[in-house]
Amino acid sequence: MKMKYEDKVSLYNDTSQCMTENVPIEALSPFCNPYMKDVLDLFKRTAFINLSKLQSCLKEGKGGWETVLGQDECKMPWYGRDLPIVEHAEEIADRIRDKVGKFGDGEDSVTVMADTIVVKIPKEVMEVSASRDPVYTWTMVALCQAIAEVFNINPNTDLDGCNMLKAVVFGRYPQSITFSPGAPVSGFLKPSNVVDGLGAEYSGITVNHIVAMVNKRTMDGLALASILEGAAQWEMGNAVGWYERYNLLGYAYEGFNANNLVLDLVKENREGTITDVVYSTIIRAVEDGVIKVKNKLASGYKIYTTNDFPLWNAYELAGTTAAAIVNCGAMRSGQAAATVLGYINDGFALETGGLADPDGGRMEGAGIGFAFYTHSIYGGAGPGAYTFDHVILRGSGFIQPPIVAGMCLDSGTQLFSPEMTSSAFFKLRDMFPLLQDPLKKVAEAAEQIKGEIKKG
Amino acid sequence: MAEKPKSEYVPNIYPGKDVVSERRKKLWDKSRPLLKYRSVAEDDITQILSHRAVRAAYVSVHPPLEEMIEPYDPIKHIVVPTPGTRAGDRIRFIQMSDSFHLPSIAPFGRQRLYFSRFRGMDTVVYSGREILEMRERDLEKVAKMLLETEIFNPGRSALKGITVHGHSLRLDEDGLMFDARRRYIYDRDTGEVVYIKDQMGNVLDVPVPIGPPFSEEDCKKLCLTYSWDTQPYKARTELFEVMSRATKMRVIAGFNPEMIDESM
Repeated sequence: MKMKYEDKVSLYNDTSQCMTENVPIEALSPFCNPYMKDVLDLFKRTAFINLSKLQSCLKEGKGGWETVLGQDECKMPWYGRDLPIVEHAEEIADRIRDKVGKFGDGEDSVTVMADTIVVKIPKEVMEVSASRDPVYTWTMVALCQAIAEVFNINPNTDLDGCNMLKAVVFGRYPQSITFSPGAPVSGFLKPSNVVDGLGAEYSGITVNHIVAMVNKRTMDGLALASILEGAAQWEMGNAVGWYERYNLLGYAYEGFNANNLVLDLVKENREGTITDVVYSTIIRAVEDGVIKVKNKLASGYKIYTTNDFPLWNAYELAGTTAAAIVNCGAMRSGQAAATVLGYINDGFALETGGLADPDGGRMEGAGIGFAFYTHSIYGGAGPGAYTFDHVILRGSGFIQPPIVAGMCLDSGTQLFSPEMTSSAFFKLRDMFPLLQDPLKKVAEAAEQIKGEIKKG
Repeated sequence: MAEKPKSEYVPNIYPGKDVVSERRKKLWDKSRPLLKYRSVAEDDITQILSHRAVRAAYVSVHPPLEEMIEPYDPIKHIVVPTPGTRAGDRIRFIQMSDSFHLPSIAPFGRQRLYFSRFRGMDTVVYSGREILEMRERDLEKVAKMLLETEIFNPGRSALKGITVHGHSLRLDEDGLMFDARRRYIYDRDTGEVVYIKDQMGNVLDVPVPIGPPFSEEDCKKLCLTYSWDTQPYKARTELFEVMSRATKMRVIAGFNPEMIDESM
C-alpha cells in the first residue's frame, strides 16, 4: 500500500502508555486497519433474535406497536399462541443455519447465546445484495419459517397463528415501513429505509449503545465512536480527496489519543475550566509548531497563523474532547458535553485571532442545535438516546466521540441512562470479545500493518 | 509538557482597546476578580432559586461518588469532581435574563464568563436568556457570585426560570426590565429592587431585597455591548478585522482545508 501523507502519530492508551509509535495516519483508515474492518463487518452483518421477547409477544398476541416504552397499543390475546420457543432455541437456530448459512464459506453464521440467537449473514449474500438489508429480511423470513416448521404452524393447522407470527416478527411492515421499536429481531444498524441521510448508516447507532459496549470506559468510547463515525464519514463522501487527511488526522487525535494529546490536556487541566483547556491547546500547538504568531494588533492582541489547518483542526478537536472530559468529569454528567461542543468554538476563534474553529464551524452549528434539543430550554431527549444520523446532528462528523465520552462519565444523572436504554448492549460486550478494548486493538492492528504502508 | 509554566502564555481573550473591549476582557479573565456590589444572604438565594426549602438537606440523585462501584476507567480518577458531584447532588438550574438597555452582561457574555470561571457546568445561550445547570450546592455557590457582583444590575438583569419574555421591551416606569410575572418590584421607600416571587413565579413568604438598580452613569460605565451612546462603530476596528478573518477562514476551511496557508 502506498503512503500518500507524511504524517505519523504514536498512539497511547488511557494510562498514557505508548502502544505503537510512528504509525502513518493511513493505518487508521477503515480501508487499511484490519481491526476497524472486523468491527464494521460485525456491525454490518449481525442480527439478533430475542427469543424470550418473541415468546412473550406471541403469547400475549402483541405486535405492530409504535411506542418506545409502552409497546402495548396493539394486543390481540385471542390470537395469542403459547409456544415454548426459548426451550427450542437450538432447534430453531439449526433450521435458520440450514436456510442462511449454506450460502457462506463455512463460517458458523448462527449461534445461540442464552435466549438470543445471533445471526451473521454470509459475506457472499451481502456482496450480491445492493443494500445491507438481508440482515433484517433474511433473518426474519428464516425465523418465521423455522418456527412454523418446529411448531407445525401452517394455514391448514393454524391460519391465525401464521398471521400472528408475521405480526410479531415484522410488525406492521409493509403497510408501515418501520419496524416496531424493541422488536424481537434487531441489528446494530438501523434498517436502511429509516436512516436519515446517504451513507449515515454507521452513525445511526444510539449513543448509549456505544457507551454500554465499552462498559463506560471513556477512551474506549472515544475509539469505538470514532471507528463508526469515521467509517460513516467515508461512506458519506466526506473524507474523499481534499478531506482525506483532514479526517484521518481529526479522528487520530480526537478518537485514538494520538501523541497522548487528549490525555495530556485532561491531566494538565484536571482541576481546570473549559477555557483553560483552550489555552493549553494553543500552548501545545505553538510548541509543536502547528500554529505561530503572525502579527500583533495595536491593543497587543495576537493574530495566529498556520500552514497546516488539518493538523490544527485535529489539535482543536483534541482540545474540545479534553474540555468535554474535564467539564463532564467535574460534573460527572453527560448533559454538559453538548455545551462544550457548541460554545468552545468561539473560544478557539477569538483566542487565535480568527483561525477556523473545529470542523470549520460545523461543530459549533451542530453543537448548539444539540444543546438546544437536549435541554429544558427547548425540550427533547437526553444525549444518550440520540443517534447521529439525526437531522440536527449530522452536520458535523466530529461531534459523536465527545458526546460518547460525556455519557461514559455520567454517574447516574440521566433519565435516558445506558442501563435504561441499552442494557442488552452491556451483554454484547461479553458475547463479542472483538468489542473489548477497542483503543488497544486499533493500535495493535495499526502496528501490524504499518510496515506495509510505504512511500510511493 | 504538563510541567511547563503557563505564565509565559498571555491569553488574547478579546481584540480591541476601547472601554467595551476592556470590560469583556475583564469579565472573561478568571484571574481578575469581579467587584462585589451587594450582599445577598445564602438563605435568600435558596429561596429565590426555589429548588429546596431553606436549610433543608440536599436531595441526591445517586450515592456519594466514594460509595459507588463503577466499572474501571482511569479518566474518572484523573478529573477532580466538584463538591456537589462528590456528594451526588441533583442537577438544578438558574436562568438569567438580561435587558437590551445598557446591560452589564448579555447571554453570550455569560457563556464565556461561565466557561472561564466555573467548573462542572452546563449552559445554553438563547437570545435573551441563559440557563446554567450545575450540581445543586455548586449552583448555589455560583449564584451568590452572579447576584452579588458587578455583572448583576438588579434593574436590568433578572432571574426568570419561566416566562422569560421581556429583555427587548421598553423598561417600566421605574426603569426595571419587563417581567410578565412581576417577580420583582421597585421599592420606592428603600430604593431597592425586591423579589416578591421566586424564579418560577411562586410568591415568597418573605420578600427578598436585592439591592438598588445601577444609576444611568453606572449602567453606561459597566455596559458590555457596543452602542451609539456607549462605544461607537469605529471603536470596533480590531474586532471587525478578527471577525472578518474568522469568517473567511471558516469558508475556506469548509471548502478545502488544505487551502489555508500562512499568508491568510
